[in-house]
Amino acid sequence: MSHLGTSSSTLNVVTLRELARKELTTVLDSVRGKKCLVLDPNISGPLSLIAEFSLLRDHGVEKIHYLQQGPLETELTSLIYICRPQLQYMKYIAEHIQCHQNEQLSSPNTTRYEYSLFFVPRRTRICQKVLEESGDDLLSLELDNTFKELYLDGDYTSIYYAARALMRLQTLFGLFPRVIGKGDCAKQLADMLLRMRREVAVDDPSSTMSVSQNIDSLIIIDRSVDLITPLCTQLTYEGLIDEVFSIRASHVEVDSSIVGPAPQKPTVTAGAATSTSTATSSQPPMPPQPLAKKKKIGLNSGDKLFARLRDMNFAVVGGVLSSVAKRINDDYEAHIISSSGLCERDWNVRHQAKTVAQIREFINKLGGLQSEHQSLRTHTGIAEEIVAVTVTPEFNKALEVQQNLVAGIDINTQNEYIEEMINRQVPLVQVLRLLCLQSLVNGGLKQKNFEFFKKEILQTYGFEHLQTLSNLEKLNMFVKQVSNRNQYAYIRKSLRLIVDEVDEHNPQDVSYVYSGYAPLSVRLLQCVATKSGPSSISISNVGGGATGAVTNASGIRGNGWKGYEDVLRTIPGKTFDEVQRLEDGAIRPKRLIPGQQPHVTLIFFLGGCTYTEISAIRFLAQQDESHREFVIATTQIINGNSLLNSIIQKTDHPGVTNGLS
Amino acid sequence: MAILESYEQKSLEERINKLKVALKRYQDDKEHAFEAKAIDENIRLLQVQSQLEKELEQPLVGLSLSETIHKCIILNNSSKASKLKSDFKVPDKRFWWIKLKALVEMRGWDELDKF
Repeated sequence: MSHLGTSSSTLNVVTLRELARKELTTVLDSVRGKKCLVLDPNISGPLSLIAEFSLLRDHGVEKIHYLQQGPLETELTSLIYICRPQLQYMKYIAEHIQCHQNEQLSSPNTTRYEYSLFFVPRRTRICQKVLEESGDDLLSLELDNTFKELYLDGDYTSIYYAARALMRLQTLFGLFPRVIGKGDCAKQLADMLLRMRREVAVDDPSSTMSVSQNIDSLIIIDRSVDLITPLCTQLTYEGLIDEVFSIRASHVEVDSSIVGPAPQKPTVTAGAATSTSTATSSQPPMPPQPLAKKKKIGLNSGDKLFARLRDMNFAVVGGVLSSVAKRINDDYEAHIISSSGLCERDWNVRHQAKTVAQIREFINKLGGLQSEHQSLRTHTGIAEEIVAVTVTPEFNKALEVQQNLVAGIDINTQNEYIEEMINRQVPLVQVLRLLCLQSLVNGGLKQKNFEFFKKEILQTYGFEHLQTLSNLEKLNMFVKQVSNRNQYAYIRKSLRLIVDEVDEHNPQDVSYVYSGYAPLSVRLLQCVATKSGPSSISISNVGGGATGAVTNASGIRGNGWKGYEDVLRTIPGKTFDEVQRLEDGAIRPKRLIPGQQPHVTLIFFLGGCTYTEISAIRFLAQQDESHREFVIATTQIINGNSLLNSIIQKTDHPGVTNGLS
Repeated sequence: MAILESYEQKSLEERINKLKVALKRYQDDKEHAFEAKAIDENIRLLQVQSQLEKELEQPLVGLSLSETIHKCIILNNSSKASKLKSDFKVPDKRFWWIKLKALVEMRGWDELDKF
């Protein structure tokens, strides 16, 4: 289990949740009386993370509807719409109003409706952001497609939202003494953050922000710095759940048959219009479930078993599940024996009081066992489904190709395999994951192969993907080779991305998360945030940074990127290292009390990060003897599929079918 | 942009016209020889598809080339499929995959035997 998730975590993210709740209730209270909440379905997930239904009810919400096409029927006359400003939603709302007006025309006695419309800032969601429920080490802005917006569309709004969120953190926890990072957009974010802080100082000179006592630095990593990692198949438990089922706002939807029947609890959602949900978690506003067979499962550290499993390599998960199953079984049996023993002694009046207490204890414990039992059932079911995928030859072949590519092992059969995938017409996203990976690790494809694959894709998946291919080319993800110099090979060696011997049961290095490949992004973090850098095991000829590193009192390497300049130059994007001082130039306002040194490093992934990278960072925190904590913030959680799907040209034109079968 | 616009056009004629605009733009540019060729192919495919639609009385416009070949085989029209293969230089390997898949779907075991 991640020790970052403890409530004693230095960064109290609960404060953030409180702020978001306050904003929400202000909105609700702005309309008097009983009201009906009409929600953008995409907002309900994040909303449920900050507010339970009882909170909404306390503020007069009687019903919740989803904003969708078609008339809205409700006896309530105050309607609050909360949605993102999207054209289609405006059309639906106009429809509703039109519909109600027609009603009034036909029967003039009906009461008038009152409408209030609240936009959630462009496409950011309702609170600033959403926090993993009890993880406490992960903050996500839950934005979509930020990488594509930043690098393909040149739309920098997500930088603004990121800067605002970070400013809010600075208001709560103090200035980040140091802002370090890599990537062009990361640099823009850092600049914007410094500028915003100066503006605050000008606008309100009395609000002197002090330097944070908890946070020693902010490290910003831009997704464009490492596109290789998200294209690899994640091999941790949580990562594979995301690859197989897709996790949305810490929830996963699976067939209810997989996880078995759940003990039905009476839930507070009973009054809500959408109470058809069968979920067991205490989530209130649930999106309506199109198929009753689907079940939504919350994935968070509140589930002890999941907390233990989430960061493990999947190869280990089966063994853990079976040992937990054995333990629960033993516990049940122990209880049966002890309870029968209780009955026999029951007649003994002298022991009566004690016995009753024992029974209560037993019953209480049984309750705990049952919830543990349910969690075991859920995760065994999910793990079985994942195994069904991971045993297929398709999964293994693709994994083998990936692993050879990132390790720089050149086997000629990989192109043959990718060609076969196209011929089998597997989803385009799977083909592109391998092709882009190949292009990224080799600095492009040879012209002949490049044109061959482009033609195969266009003729198989449709000519509209000319746009997809041109997008990928523009992003430098799928290009023609222009020089023989392979920069990835240099990066791979310098940062020791490939570790040959990996013990998944007892990992020694972050590379366990991909069974032998250490995420480039996390290796970069190790350069600045850990004492020994990326070469903690076998010290190779890494620019000397590892050995010469000076660590200051706070534990962060005082040298920043020093020692890694050469390798950083070969990675695209600007490198920066800024110190934030108070106006008088002092770095720290007061002397630190020994033992109270800042020991939280905030890591911001601009353009998204994967669950695997999060697991790797949690692993780093556990390894560090200085008890450093890492708090991870990101624009959103991504995987190879969601990353590429944002770039793939959607075909939505008449006369088109989606594939052959 | 003209390429994207072309897919928003409801009529085939309009779609082809938009593609022709895009083609012109790319043709003048040596850097984009591949794109020009692809758009040209796309126009040809749409024209063949509309012709085949009339002959086979089946919706085809908008399918990819592989899907069109597949459809032809399903509709017992192997000669049309072979013509598409040669007209658009479809590699043998892919062609056999398409054919295999189609024959399995049709349960054309006799044909499969000849493989």
